[in-house]
Amino acid sequence: MGANLVNLNANPCKMCMPMGAVSAFYGIGMSMSILHGSQGCSTYIRRHMATHYNEPVDIASASLTEEGTVFGGAKNLMKGLENLLSLYHPKVIGIATTCLAETIGEDIDGIIRDFQEKHPDVTATFIPVSSPGYGGSQYEGFFRALHAIVRYVPMDTQSHEMINVITGHLSAADTRALKSLLDASGLDYVLLPDLSQNLDGIHSENYKRLPQHGTPLERISRMAGARMTLELAPLCPEEYSPGAYLRDTYGVPLLRLNLPVGLEDTDMFIATLESLGAIIPASVFEERGRHVDAMIDAHKYNAQCRAAIFGEPDITLGLTRACCENGVVPVVVATGSRCPALKESLGVTVAQAAEVQFCDGFDILDFADFTAIENALLARGANLMIGNSDGRRIEEHHHVPLLRYGFPIHDRVGGQRTRVLLYDGSLSLMESTANAMLQKTEETFREELHGKYYFLTEEAGKASSHGLEKAASVVSGGTMPEETSVPLSAAERTRTHPCFSCGACATSARLHLPVAPECNLSCNYCVRKYSCPNESRPGVTTAVLNPEQALERFLAVRQDMPNLTVVGIAGPGDSLANAEMTFRTLERIRQEDDNITFCMSTNGLALPEYVADMKRVGVSHATVTINAVDPVIGSQIYRYADYRGHRYHGETAAALLLANQLAGLRALTQAGIICKVNTVLLKGINEEHIPTVVATVRDLGAEMTNIMQLIPVKGSAFEHMPLVSNKELTDMRKRCEPTLKQMYHCHQCRADAVGLLNDDRSIEYRLPEITPIAAQEKSAPIARRIRIAVASKTGVTVDQHFGQADQFYIYESNGHDASFVETRSVSRYCKGMDDCGSKSGRMEGILCAVEDCAGVLALRIGDSPLHKLQKKGIRVFTQYERVEKAVNDAAKALCG
Amino acid sequence: MTMDANAKVLERYNAKVFKNRKDHMLQVNHAEEQQISANTRSVPGIMTNRGCCYAGCKGVVLGPIKDMVLITHGPVGCGFYSWGTRRNKARAEGDDPNFIQYCFTTDMQESDIVFGGVKKLKQAIAEVMQLMQPKTIMIAATCPVGLIGDDIQSVATEAEQEYGIRCVAYSCEGYKGVSQSAGHHIANNGLMKRVIGTGDIEPATKYSVNILGEYNIGGDGWEQERILKKIGYEVLSVFTGDGAIERIASSHKANLNLVQCHRSINYIAEMMKTKYGVDWLKVNFIGLEGTVESLRHMAAYFGDPALIQRTEEVIAEELGEISDAMAACKARLQGKTAALFVGGSRSHHYQGLLKDIGISTVLAGYEFGHRDDYEGREVIPTIKDDADSKNIESITVEKDEKKYHAYLSQEQYEKLAATIPLEQYSGMIRDMDNGSYVVDDLNMYEADTFVELLKPDMFFSGIKDKYALQKAGALSRQLHCYDYSGPYAGFRGAVRFAQDVCMGYFTPAWHMVLPPWKTSATLQGTVGE
Repeated sequence: MGANLVNLNANPCKMCMPMGAVSAFYGIGMSMSILHGSQGCSTYIRRHMATHYNEPVDIASASLTEEGTVFGGAKNLMKGLENLLSLYHPKVIGIATTCLAETIGEDIDGIIRDFQEKHPDVTATFIPVSSPGYGGSQYEGFFRALHAIVRYVPMDTQSHEMINVITGHLSAADTRALKSLLDASGLDYVLLPDLSQNLDGIHSENYKRLPQHGTPLERISRMAGARMTLELAPLCPEEYSPGAYLRDTYGVPLLRLNLPVGLEDTDMFIATLESLGAIIPASVFEERGRHVDAMIDAHKYNAQCRAAIFGEPDITLGLTRACCENGVVPVVVATGSRCPALKESLGVTVAQAAEVQFCDGFDILDFADFTAIENALLARGANLMIGNSDGRRIEEHHHVPLLRYGFPIHDRVGGQRTRVLLYDGSLSLMESTANAMLQKTEETFREELHGKYYFLTEEAGKASSHGLEKAASVVSGGTMPEETSVPLSAAERTRTHPCFSCGACATSARLHLPVAPECNLSCNYCVRKYSCPNESRPGVTTAVLNPEQALERFLAVRQDMPNLTVVGIAGPGDSLANAEMTFRTLERIRQEDDNITFCMSTNGLALPEYVADMKRVGVSHATVTINAVDPVIGSQIYRYADYRGHRYHGETAAALLLANQLAGLRALTQAGIICKVNTVLLKGINEEHIPTVVATVRDLGAEMTNIMQLIPVKGSAFEHMPLVSNKELTDMRKRCEPTLKQMYHCHQCRADAVGLLNDDRSIEYRLPEITPIAAQEKSAPIARRIRIAVASKTGVTVDQHFGQADQFYIYESNGHDASFVETRSVSRYCKGMDDCGSKSGRMEGILCAVEDCAGVLALRIGDSPLHKLQKKGIRVFTQYERVEKAVNDAAKALCG
Repeated sequence: MTMDANAKVLERYNAKVFKNRKDHMLQVNHAEEQQISANTRSVPGIMTNRGCCYAGCKGVVLGPIKDMVLITHGPVGCGFYSWGTRRNKARAEGDDPNFIQYCFTTDMQESDIVFGGVKKLKQAIAEVMQLMQPKTIMIAATCPVGLIGDDIQSVATEAEQEYGIRCVAYSCEGYKGVSQSAGHHIANNGLMKRVIGTGDIEPATKYSVNILGEYNIGGDGWEQERILKKIGYEVLSVFTGDGAIERIASSHKANLNLVQCHRSINYIAEMMKTKYGVDWLKVNFIGLEGTVESLRHMAAYFGDPALIQRTEEVIAEELGEISDAMAACKARLQGKTAALFVGGSRSHHYQGLLKDIGISTVLAGYEFGHRDDYEGREVIPTIKDDADSKNIESITVEKDEKKYHAYLSQEQYEKLAATIPLEQYSGMIRDMDNGSYVVDDLNMYEADTFVELLKPDMFFSGIKDKYALQKAGALSRQLHCYDYSGPYAGFRGAVRFAQDVCMGYFTPAWHMVLPPWKTSATLQGTVGE
């Protein structure tokens, strides 16, 4: 959930523009701001800023009421300005608009003109900022205010030697650090803005309401004549970049740099200062050396760190780059602001950091809410958060520690004094992440070492020699790395997954463990009689296993099939409607085998809740069945959906299912799980819609789709639905091929399938059958012997599609003992070799081959041959069963 | 009286502001009938502490209800700023959901303002239904919603039909009214029209009560419930701290409404009396005297001798448990002075608790109180409706014949009303000392000046003035959110409060600062006569 919620922001990771605008004005000397809107805007923003800074925060309001919305707010704003001036005597007044003022279309420039005409004696500078709450986040508001400041402050264009340094919203302590470096460097500079003292004041004998510090107006007015602007806000759009305005209007050269967080970006900043003539004190280089030394000392701990970093764009960029340098992998990087450039700026850096640490994937999100961040960080297995204090809810709920940086910090003191800038700030950030890891290690390592290495080894030693080998191999690893073996990458797993890689289907075996009997969705093409042993199609199994039985079967199959690469949970119901069984099974198997690939298939209804669990137990591949991405179409396919205790019908059910499928699929792919989407081609329902389905799932990150034929199951709502021919199916797959990779080799296997895709050996692993004794006694032999043709690859089981059979095994049975008569090669029945090559000719041959039989047994059969056989009075039994038993059963059925 | 601090404060105002503000201040003199101006528009630019209508509706009254989803329809700020900021505490009941930690907003963008936000709101509801399946959704409007004309009421009606849930929309745009108070009223109306009376939880005993106007900040409501249950009352519902929709919906079945914060909730108390016959009694569980008196009034209302006896037993037991701790604090704090500036009732309620620990109040004011909060409920008929209050819908309800149940006969009621505050609350002025000051809608400049003039030892208000007060050398405790502390209500809460004040007043840091006004008086004279 989360990422697809485009209309609902659940737990916002951003504030509104007026917040940013008034924060910026706190960095201007002798200035106050007034919000042109309802009182609530000022009150809420003051409350939030005061809690963070532990300082008085005074922001006036024009106190608009309903009358103002009708007649305009000019009167209120004029009064407000008068009062502000007479009580506080500010030299600068920032007038920031709000949603209300912008919606009613207030002409702020006009009101200011009127005010100045009415009060010619007033000398204060008025700076209007257009900052509707719906126009962006506090990040944009901050820069829009700075942009307005350089636009509205009267400029002195005479050139001089100063440089302009412009920053976004920094902590007060970081701003002070920046200032002392600049002061020490001998450069003359204007820092815009400078909230370092106004919002982190000292206890003095005379407290003044009017902020006494900050960048003085006189200094700002000289920015137009500076020799250079350094703007430490790489992600601020040009549109309201103050540096770009100074460049375009006054020709001040602009250099945009990353914030000096981390070694590389601080080096860059220092080098830039030096190129401008700065003399950097030796102590700064000493700090650099100390930082490098400490980085090496702490690398081991930082390497364990998988961080989720969130906040305003520029500082998020800085924190992320610094973390990467330190060996931390930022698996989730997010900002609540709209900032597509974040991903572009960070993609390569984070990918490299991830690769070094064998980390599979990461997410870089913009316009994200905390719900999206939460989902991503759970899916990516983050073990640390770095960001503002609104991450505390995730911290509390999921016990992922939060290092508080940025704004706001409401649940700790000292938010205004966090440090990340320059070498010393970067060093403290680096040590904080390392210490967070150490704290966790310190709290858990005894238990972990005992549980993971000693205890398991002991257990395994008791259980089998295999365990001893395993333990030995750990020891002989020599260096004792943190992880005993490097797990296979997702790509490697895909290569050996028979369903995901066509090449693997002939060589790699898979095991479906039928541990999931319940289903939460009623599909019209399905009948949930999973106990039927004689069919081979999804949803069918002979028995449901518990996790212990499933483990036994796994061990047995692994013994027999060295080419076993995949364990899958595919029903017979839905794997996630039986989440406990599913995950317990996989956990048990993982304890025995840390290399086998886990795969799950699901209808997706419960998916969003379990992505984290799937990731946890190590599922690397998943199949989601999505038949429609339109609830109207979906409502024709599904009868009902059971979700969190409620049964939903019709379009509601389809819409609910769809939302969860899409959100779940997105979360899966974001979590690095390789996804395939299955779609059943349903004539007259979704055939025209399928390309849309394919395009939609591609956008969510699915690797391929598998468009399948409908198997019209007796008793299902779609029993009589027209069948899709192979040609139609292939045409559809070809049509979708340009959009997304298609699977052409699907065998629509059983929920307890074992072995290669085209060689199901599940019969060999069935649980012992309990046949009622009475039933055995009752059944008397049938008087005559019935002739039956069997489509089988090996002669042991009914395991071949009717149309694909090259030969048939002919049996006779009286219902009790089946006797083999002969094999008939299909080619013998073709009208000639040429004919046999063609499709229709071959089918004729097949039909001739079985003409004298009363029944035909095959794994499956197409619609057209079925009708042809029925016309000839031959009954068809589609099933998957041992040949002898199948023949006897068929004979009994044929005699009534 | 030798000093008039009000005059001193007003000195710096220009004529217009002077005229406006002077009616909002008075110095208590019980010899006269005193009237104050309240619930009128704040002066623009003067740094008022007041919030907006949305804050009163969503932030105060509806926000604490735990098992519903409240969607703030508007740009991101309003939802964000009202996210968990009042420290209302809530625990989930059984398997019922608890959404108190969430903030849901439609995060309107520019295009939504231009083309209308209804579509987005509908889809947001659909997404909430997918995610959370709440039984109740409420929608709170922010400024732009009313201006662009989004019909949130019909969206709510549609959602009810489509999802079979309860969906209530509140047109509580920030610009309505003059403060949060308008929002309280709007929230009251919505709860009355759409929630109360629809539930069917039956009270198990005849001593069933609702606590109205208790928002469970810092766990205050839990302490009250603890005491009431100990005596043998059944708390059917709480409006709205730790509140649950089904309980609020069934609240009409209780026999008595206890009104704690009358400012924010007296509308519902009044309407429930008319419609369902539930009597209401003003209570005050802040301070020992208030708590004890409230408990005795309740016992008197039900009139059962066993209940009355049990009440006395519990009072004695509870007082016994805390008396040593209270006495220890009082010994240290005796003779100190305080100023109080809180929302609508607390400035009044806390004076009793302060008195319990020997602290007298020299200045008190309400942020958004009405005249009746200052002067007593009896003045309501004399309050003239201005344009701003007329803009807020005032609903009238009629007797619901099927659900109406009066616990007392008319005769019993009248007899009791003479001795306990049934449908009545007194004003704050009456309980204050002669010579102390009352200021409505106190702003930053006035707060600074009063601190200089009156030199209170401590100031109880909120976060916006907290740090300025501390810079001025006065201890500040937040009575909106209790600075992460609480509970302060009831018996155990009183001790917690007393200890917090002691700890704050005697913290070593104060020895290291010396505000100028503590050494040189800016105004000559003494407080009082």
